[in-house]
Amino acid sequence: MATTIPKTSTALSALLRADFTTQWRNRRSVVLVLLVPVIILISWKGLVEKLGGPFALSNSLTYGLIAIGLMGYTNSIARDRDKGVFQRLRVAPVPTWAIMMSRLFVQLMMIVLVTTAIFVVGYDYDKITLTPTGYIITYFTATIGGAVYLALGQLIVGLIKSPETVNSTSRLVYFSFVIIGMFGGLGMLGKQVEELTQWSPYGTVKNIMVAGMAPGTWNMTDTNALLVTLGYILVFATIGIKKFKWESK
Amino acid sequence: MNNQQDSILTVSGLNVQYGSFTAVKDVSFDVRKGEIFGLLGPNGAGKTSTLSSIEGLVKFNAGSVIVDGFDAREKPLYARAAMGVQLQSTSFQPELKVSEILQLYAGIYGVPLTKDKLDEILKEIKLEDAASKKFGQLSGGQQQRVSLVISTIHNPRLVLLDEPTTGLDPQSRRQLWERIEAIRERGHAVLLTTHSMEEAESVCDRIGIIDHGKVIIIDTPQALIEKYKNDPEVIAVSRRGRVTLEDVFIALTGRAVRA
Repeated sequence: MATTIPKTSTALSALLRADFTTQWRNRRSVVLVLLVPVIILISWKGLVEKLGGPFALSNSLTYGLIAIGLMGYTNSIARDRDKGVFQRLRVAPVPTWAIMMSRLFVQLMMIVLVTTAIFVVGYDYDKITLTPTGYIITYFTATIGGAVYLALGQLIVGLIKSPETVNSTSRLVYFSFVIIGMFGGLGMLGKQVEELTQWSPYGTVKNIMVAGMAPGTWNMTDTNALLVTLGYILVFATIGIKKFKWESK
Repeated sequence: MNNQQDSILTVSGLNVQYGSFTAVKDVSFDVRKGEIFGLLGPNGAGKTSTLSSIEGLVKFNAGSVIVDGFDAREKPLYARAAMGVQLQSTSFQPELKVSEILQLYAGIYGVPLTKDKLDEILKEIKLEDAASKKFGQLSGGQQQRVSLVISTIHNPRLVLLDEPTTGLDPQSRRQLWERIEAIRERGHAVLLTTHSMEEAESVCDRIGIIDHGKVIIIDTPQALIEKYKNDPEVIAVSRRGRVTLEDVFIALTGRAVRA
């Protein structure tokens, strides 16, 4: 019998089914990823009038995206690498990009889920509405923003092998973004920190999302923020992929 | 002696280097159709590095690996499709149930798996009640059975087993030997690594002893015992009044305990 290789699409669909099942079985952590931005959005109700609906939505959404990239993706990759799950998959006739593509697609769906949840809660609780174009562009900018944090997560698992250290590092980075974003972005830590925050991965992602929610206000600063965001993705992902090892030994 | 036409796996002049350390030096052997070939060696001898090179997990620096006519370097996916692999420590996503793991790997290998076929496989490995259990909830023997069935789910021409019976009780070990022999009876080739000389003597048709990254000798277990039974070094290490494969192995690789 001649040896044939299975279609990549067949292998990919098997991987996707397994990865979605895994995500579903981890629904408690999915709920936690959803809860953080929703709680922030609800607690900011009083600030919506002062700061604007898009600001409140983009801020909450950014925290959700950070949680997906740094807590969800990063830790699952570190755990499965340590357990040898990837090595078992790699000895099968499936391209390695398909293994990662399946993982990333699940995260993409998480981004869509979090974005939708923020829109629903924003509308229902804070009465925030966007134009149809605003909603569409936000799904797009949220995907780009999510990619920054997934790439940052990739950088962390690329540079660190131990799953415990990956876990603590990703938490540290997550809380740094939360604190610096919340206080630095509002200018409470001084002008310099505010400026730095604006061009950090947190600031640029938030910027493009605010601008995307109100497309009429898009200006040169937003375009620059988009370019810097894409630059972050490129740099983090390149180093993260290049340094990534399939086993933690 | 070597019939290239019957070879399912041909390893020639394999070299594997990790930085300045050479783990595998000029290793050559072949595994033939309907043969169980055992690769034996002390810890750190180069067994797993050799196996990993064949599996495509480690990039080798020189030499070639041909699996079922496919060069593992030039056509890695074809080479991998022709082999089934059971790694030393197999792990699957802990959230997945046994039936889901089987469906995942059937999908990856492009094997249609109906509910009836799935039930048949589970029945065959005596795990019909474990379909909804997670892999981590199975005993060591049950895990090995699942791993073996996954590595042969696509009916590969070559099966690679890295220390398949480690940690198994005698019953499970015997059962696994029977399953490995059944693979051979279907005309497939098996390459296994083991530390158990009893296993190598009972199951393997030919064995290769590897040490310090080099293949020292390749022959049938009986021929090896016959060849070395009068060797003073072998007699010196013999403990049971008769020369065993273990005596030959220790005489060839030394008494020193490896890290």
